[in-house]
Amino acid sequence: MAVLAIARDDVSAEFFDGTARGELLLRKCLKCGHINAPHIEACIRCASPELGWQAAGGTGRVQTFAVVHLRGDPPSRLVVAKVGLAEGPWIDAQIVDVDPDQVHIGDEVTLDFETPEGGEAVPVFRIADR
Amino acid sequence: MPGISRSPAIAGIGITEMSHRVYGRSSSQFAADAIRLAAADAGLEIKDLDGLLINAGITQGVGLALSHELNMVDLRMLSEIQAYGSSAGAMIQYASMAIANGMADAVACVFGDAPLREGTSTGALYAGEGRKPSGFSALPLASGVRGAPVQYAMAARRHMDKYGTTSEHFGHVAVSSRAWAQMNPRAQMRDPLTLEDHQNSRMIAEPFHLFDCCLVSNGGVAVIVTSGDRASMLQQPPIYVRGWGQTHPGYLPDDSNQQGLVSGAALSGPAAMKMAGVSLSDINVAEIYDCFTFTTLISMEDYGFCEKGEGGEFVASGALAPGGSIPTNTGGGQLSSYYMWGMTPLSEAVIQARGQGGERQVGQHDVVLVSGNGGCLDHHSTLILSSHEN
Ligand SMILES: [Zn+2]
Repeated sequence: MAVLAIARDDVSAEFFDGTARGELLLRKCLKCGHINAPHIEACIRCASPELGWQAAGGTGRVQTFAVVHLRGDPPSRLVVAKVGLAEGPWIDAQIVDVDPDQVHIGDEVTLDFETPEGGEAVPVFRIADR
Repeated sequence: MPGISRSPAIAGIGITEMSHRVYGRSSSQFAADAIRLAAADAGLEIKDLDGLLINAGITQGVGLALSHELNMVDLRMLSEIQAYGSSAGAMIQYASMAIANGMADAVACVFGDAPLREGTSTGALYAGEGRKPSGFSALPLASGVRGAPVQYAMAARRHMDKYGTTSEHFGHVAVSSRAWAQMNPRAQMRDPLTLEDHQNSRMIAEPFHLFDCCLVSNGGVAVIVTSGDRASMLQQPPIYVRGWGQTHPGYLPDDSNQQGLVSGAALSGPAAMKMAGVSLSDINVAEIYDCFTFTTLISMEDYGFCEKGEGGEFVASGALAPGGSIPTNTGGGQLSSYYMWGMTPLSEAVIQARGQGGERQVGQHDVVLVSGNGGCLDHHSTLILSSHEN
């Protein structure tokens, strides 16, 4: 929960078309095949700006995380993380449906999506079954 | 050329009033006031300044129009500089190059900001609430990465996981800064602070407690850079800008990412010391950008004051505190004195290098290291200041 509604812009339109159908699209370099994070404009490995799209497999590991304390009635906590996808890229995402005290660096996570009212579908992750 | 020195030197500093509750003045007015104070400190008039570099803070309330506000005419150098918390150091560097090359003779470098408004939380302001987020840059916001504490908390967690650094270690940085602040009349937070107080302060974004996070202030700070020769004929002892460096790590979103493990100080520190012709053991005082306690810890490691990964034990040893082996953030830093981005460490460095620190003055203060840091460890600047030209 507590994923914020955000909008698309021209650059991110294809990406959010992907999240709407349940795909996390990554940028695959058309020149060298390297898989880059979704927002990347030039391949990290070969610097080519010619990038296509490829859907992520949906698994990754927690590289680091923070537990955000939200003041409210009642107060709540949410877990945000840098997730390293199996394909290589890291993305910032929320870890949902988890006891914040049970999250560790290195935990395996699986992809899901949340669609806040009035916003685009946003990738989130769940801790994989241990 | 013997006898003619265009070595850059700091001739004046101006620090406006900046309690928690200075409302009703704009960022630009604070900046203008700071420049007037800095000129007066140096023994110069506004018309003697022929260069102006401006760094606007989070509210972006200062721009080129500041020159009009001060009726400055025929400036030979005028620009806005933006590299977040590393900007103050960067401005001094660009001003120093202009001085050394004869492009300008007296350059004012200024920061002004007024984010505190009655009835608005600064956390909300720095987190960008109220703006409509869109596109790729909005994804972290959607996910809950809202505000610097969350980003730095993620960075700090990596350090804790890899090196065994603890929240108590961070607490020692906060306690040390407060001990210094208690001797600084300008400091906003002067009540005693214990490790227990730190541990009991409310959580903001784990692993960070409230007392891991810096203040927010309204105010302005200006510094005037001129040549050593000219500075020697002015009112204050010249503080030479002996060396400098910048690093912008450009952390990539993949396994190469060292954010939270290695900061830009690892490269900009040695570069600055090499230019200055000094080594680490020559540094008497360290003024480190401390948006968070962790930022001090990792910066000290990367400058080499301790081994990589041993920053926790190092700060816990009392090394940074009054009486410690390397007096650090001697005015209380951003954690306890005032938050003027990179001007906080820079202003205190000038005060210490001049020997004007009063009750908190460090005995040996020939060579002072100043560290700037912006974004989430994304931008780094280092200065080596000294009361001696060589
Ligand atoms: Zn490529």
